[in-house]
Amino acid sequence: MKKTMTKIWKSYSIGVVVVIVGIVLSLLTPRFMSMSNLLNVMTNASLVAIMGLGMTLAIASGNFDLSVGSTAALAGCISFSLVPSIGVPASIVAGLAAGAIVGFINGLIITELRVPAFIATLGMMTIIRGVALIYTDGKDLYLFGQTEYKILSGAYLFGIPTPIFFAVGIALLLGFVISQTRFGRHILAMGSNLSASERSGIPTSRVLWAIFSIVGATAALSGMIISSQVLTANGRLASGIELSAIAVVVLGGTALSGGQATMVGTLLGALLISMVNNGLNLLNVPIFYQELTVGVLMLGALAVNISQGFDIRSLFRRQA
Amino acid sequence: MENAPEVGKHPVHVMRGINRLWEIDKTMSKNSHNVVLEVQGLTRRFPGVLALNQVDFDLRAGEVHAVVGENGAGKSTMINILAGVLQPSAGEFLLDGNPIVFHNPADAQQAGISVIFQEFNLIPHLSVSENIFINREPTRNGMIDWKSMHQRAEEALKRLEIDIDPRVPVSSLSVAQQQLVEIARALAFDARVIVMDEPTAALSEREVDRLLEIVSSLAKDNVGVIYVSHKLEEVFQVADRITILRDGAHILTDVASTLDEEKLIYAMVGRALVHGKCPDRTLGEVVLTVKNLNVEDSVHNVSIELREGEVLGLAGLMGSGANEVVEALFGLRKAQADEIVLQGKALAIDNPRNAIQSRLGYVPNDRKTAGLLPDLSLKQNISIGILERLRKFFWIDSDREHEAAETYREKLNVRCSSLDQRISDLSGGNQQKVMLARALAEDCKVLLLAEPTRGVDVGAKAEIYSLIDLLVESGMAVLLQSSELPEIIRLANRVMVFSSGQSRKELTGEELTQEAVMALATRV
Repeated sequence: MKKTMTKIWKSYSIGVVVVIVGIVLSLLTPRFMSMSNLLNVMTNASLVAIMGLGMTLAIASGNFDLSVGSTAALAGCISFSLVPSIGVPASIVAGLAAGAIVGFINGLIITELRVPAFIATLGMMTIIRGVALIYTDGKDLYLFGQTEYKILSGAYLFGIPTPIFFAVGIALLLGFVISQTRFGRHILAMGSNLSASERSGIPTSRVLWAIFSIVGATAALSGMIISSQVLTANGRLASGIELSAIAVVVLGGTALSGGQATMVGTLLGALLISMVNNGLNLLNVPIFYQELTVGVLMLGALAVNISQGFDIRSLFRRQA
Repeated sequence: MENAPEVGKHPVHVMRGINRLWEIDKTMSKNSHNVVLEVQGLTRRFPGVLALNQVDFDLRAGEVHAVVGENGAGKSTMINILAGVLQPSAGEFLLDGNPIVFHNPADAQQAGISVIFQEFNLIPHLSVSENIFINREPTRNGMIDWKSMHQRAEEALKRLEIDIDPRVPVSSLSVAQQQLVEIARALAFDARVIVMDEPTAALSEREVDRLLEIVSSLAKDNVGVIYVSHKLEEVFQVADRITILRDGAHILTDVASTLDEEKLIYAMVGRALVHGKCPDRTLGEVVLTVKNLNVEDSVHNVSIELREGEVLGLAGLMGSGANEVVEALFGLRKAQADEIVLQGKALAIDNPRNAIQSRLGYVPNDRKTAGLLPDLSLKQNISIGILERLRKFFWIDSDREHEAAETYREKLNVRCSSLDQRISDLSGGNQQKVMLARALAEDCKVLLLAEPTRGVDVGAKAEIYSLIDLLVESGMAVLLQSSELPEIIRLANRVMVFSSGQSRKELTGEELTQEAVMALATRV
């Protein structure tokens, strides 16, 4: 009985927390529960959730990607710069491709240069940020009049903003991938025991490249959505977002030690952070306190995660 | 034993009382036996499991007290309680006759109890001295006094007659040497009780002998040693008394000289175990030919011919090349050979993936680091190598996966509550069977087994042996690397003995005895 209770708590704790925080916020400020505010909360959650979903794959495989913020910026800039020449749909595809390529390079550095993911992506975080700034010459890119690009963020389907569809769609897709496909099983196996995975015939390098390519693509999508909200892109876009992306995964209950993943958890983790930020806004709490709150939330989630067996030193071990 | 109370005359609880009185009487009459550590009614509950149930145990200064039992008998729980890692649910803990409670490992260490776990508590990058004096480094003016530290470490090592430079990092030492460093550390802590958990699991025969000598000399110095092991031969070599646990309960404690292996096994598993020579093997066609295999620095010009229905044993001490041959064939080491042919097809041995596709199956020598996928279920651990075959469109057909896993679970008699149970919740023996199941599911023609029964209890061992017999009868060819001589003799019809990276001789038939293998293996 006690065991099933712990199990239930483990799988649904984030859901319970989301509900409680929701109730508390709606009591504190009635504006919180308004339809437009809730959609706003969910849209903001989606921005981080999308790259967080990709990140969930990386963490499930026992890896990490710190370069997602820079990748998001580079993809936004590349995509924006190409709109005049190749049009909106193709430039979005180009942005996604740029993200995937950055991710693929991350993977290559990890497997071929044998650098731990943590270090490899930390280096790439700075490199890609530099590339984005060089590419834009440090200037802002605007898309005046190209409202077509707004389809990524400002459009509605059945009254619901598109980013929410992207987040939920990607969660469903990756949730299926991780639980039902061979690729997903390989990811979990690698996160569980890498050397046993190699001995089971899993092409570990190829799986890793694929994981990081997907992380890159989801980061790119997040970056393009963020850019499209204001129809502006620049090399400083989404800096610092990588920590939020990791935080939502951890909050969602995916073990940092790898071998296990929950996409729904990641969605809810993103929702929680977005709700807290929004609530603090509505309560007129200065923005600095919001940063502090997210930091505390992340530390709290990490502490719970570590108590379940994660060894922080594993971050610095060579992976593949 | 003449004063022992008669069993059966009184109800159990009265018997326990009488026994205890009698024990006290016995110790009082022999004053030399002074009990350092005693536990009474030690009980530990885990959710759904009674890991230890009313266990009584005592340790005298200067004795080696072996604790034996199958996996799951409660040995590890007991060790963890002694080490202060776990707290008992009930029971009394006496040190020198005074009740004591350990809240954490530091308490136990303070009290003079040092536990040497199977996974060492050494810090690989630090030197031997630093490891021995960790947390108690000798200081001078607030800085570490390196000179005196190295000197004292040297003394501690000398006391054990160990020839290790205390300045080298622990990571540069062999497993056996690391173990000795652990013992030196325990002594440097002035331990009066040293608990050793399966200390010889990773040692070669020669190193085992050396360790047992040291254990005996510890006892002579009036240290109490609790020696936990699966290997009964060692237990009889070194123990003064033996305690047997089964299913968390205390079965018996007796002087070692009054027990024998058969009695012990019977008490451990509740049944007798068949030992002995390998059954007659019917050999078929040659399936695997290896000509002049070379692995850098570890294997030189080894040629192998393996037939259907054959178990070829690769014997040798650690580092002799036997294990390296197996790993090279599975593509885990850089190797060259003039020719490797499996079922008439040339074999590329550059990675495990190719090896599996060429229908080589492999059970690694250390399932924990190289075999188990601890976060995955029993089913997923079996199916991991055959997912391609279970594919339906672009996902895994879960019905067929279940079916395949169930087939092999049944074939290998893996005991579990469900196929979806996490593999890490199974006993060592069942985990090892899953490792075999994974290899068999891949439909291999040749099975490479490295230490197939390491860390497995006696009952599961017997099961695995008869499983291998069955497989071989149906035409499987097995390459068996093992450092346990009785295992090699029991399973292999032909044995290649390795030393210094070379195959010294092949033994079959009458020639094939433990003594002959040992003699060849130790010849440099």
